[in-house]
Amino acid sequence: MKKFLMSIAIIGGFLILCFFLVYIFFNPIGTYNSFVQAEENINGQWAEVETQYQRRADLIPNLVNTVKGYADFEQETLTGVVEARAKATSVQIDPTQLTPEKLAEFQQAQDQLSGALSRLLVTVENYPDLKANQNFLELQAQLEGTENRISVARKKFNESVMEYNKSIKTFPNNLLAGWYGFAAKGYFEAAAGAENAPKVEF
Amino acid sequence: MRYPLAKLLLAFFFLIGSHEAVFAQDFPPAPNPPRLVNDFSGTLSPEEMAKLEQKLVAYADSTSTRISIVLLGSVGPYDISDYAFQLGEQWGIGGKENDNGILILAAMKDRKVFIATGYGMEGVVPDALAKRMINDLILPNFKMEAYYEGLDQATDWIIKLASGEYKAEDMVSEGNHGGAIVMVLVFIILFVVLPLLKNKKDNDNHMGGRGGGVDLWTTLMLSSMLSGGGRSSGNFGDFSSGGGSFGGFGGGSFGGGGAGGSW
Repeated sequence: MKKFLMSIAIIGGFLILCFFLVYIFFNPIGTYNSFVQAEENINGQWAEVETQYQRRADLIPNLVNTVKGYADFEQETLTGVVEARAKATSVQIDPTQLTPEKLAEFQQAQDQLSGALSRLLVTVENYPDLKANQNFLELQAQLEGTENRISVARKKFNESVMEYNKSIKTFPNNLLAGWYGFAAKGYFEAAAGAENAPKVEF
Repeated sequence: MRYPLAKLLLAFFFLIGSHEAVFAQDFPPAPNPPRLVNDFSGTLSPEEMAKLEQKLVAYADSTSTRISIVLLGSVGPYDISDYAFQLGEQWGIGGKENDNGILILAAMKDRKVFIATGYGMEGVVPDALAKRMINDLILPNFKMEAYYEGLDQATDWIIKLASGEYKAEDMVSEGNHGGAIVMVLVFIILFVVLPLLKNKKDNDNHMGGRGGGVDLWTTLMLSSMLSGGGRSSGNFGDFSSGGGSFGGFGGGSFGGGGAGGSW
């Protein structure tokens, strides 16, 4: 009887050891693959963010041309937009280099363009003819839609970065991530505002 | 910074927890049984809601495109556009493959309205057209408190625009019913018949114990293989949400298309 129990214990111990070894061997592979998948996911979302920003940049020449037709339109605002656009399109990020610093730089350039654009749209309020121009209205709707798409793309990008950062920073993945060279990636910062938050009502 | 890891973990839990709390408070859960017309603000009369619902359900059944209407009090700190995309995404308005959902969201106290188009509808209802629909059909009616008329005309217009874009997917085909029955049979055999047979055999030796562990393992392995490989796996969701006549919201996704206005 005792011998029987002994052999059971030995076999059991051996099996546990086997499982443990298999686990140690396969777990890093699985973890590595999950890092790669999360990173690919981020790259996909990043491509979407870039596409939407590009779409906005592509709309601007049309907008500027439409507005230019109004002879007395303030030149300062227009050149502001054109310059900010040139600057924003010059800041490009390689998806493998999505570090917090790079992303902040990208965001700053794009935010400047957003600022210049909103100044333009405010100025337009002083030109009733322009405001009624069908061409301008369509462009404005497209621009608003693009801004919405940008914010959705940014939100989805941030979510996938959060997934990734969460997974590489928690134990024991952080050890493996350091080993394989997976670094934390940057987020888009939310725009300032919304301090006096009202309540949602269904 | 003595326990950076612990702090990090805590921070994450806090983040996740607070996120979920925000979601739970700020967005109504998807209606169950699913309805396309949801008036949380009490603006529409029951007859008006029924008429809109009937029209939209008929349209969803014939084209698989879901047009949903949600009226609520206030979107609070959110942009109405942002709220519309998040609500549409959470409810999953539109089919998962085509993302062909449209959400018309109106916040009555904010006097704001937004039409959000799913990814698959951006080509059918481009932003400029959505804007025109808001300006020409919805806002003038809403200004006169003719909410039903505004919504009725807007949905008619979307239906006209989108006609012929998507066909109805066959929701549950005959073959899948057969698949479900086979699956149930396989489960009964694996979980009930086989263990019984095995136990009978095990009682013949004197190992003690019932030897159920192996059975559990094999059943688990086999069942996971089966459910992973079966082509009907995607349809279980449809069965559970099949209470509504249009087959429920389908998991559609929103990318920021659409337009809005305020009255």
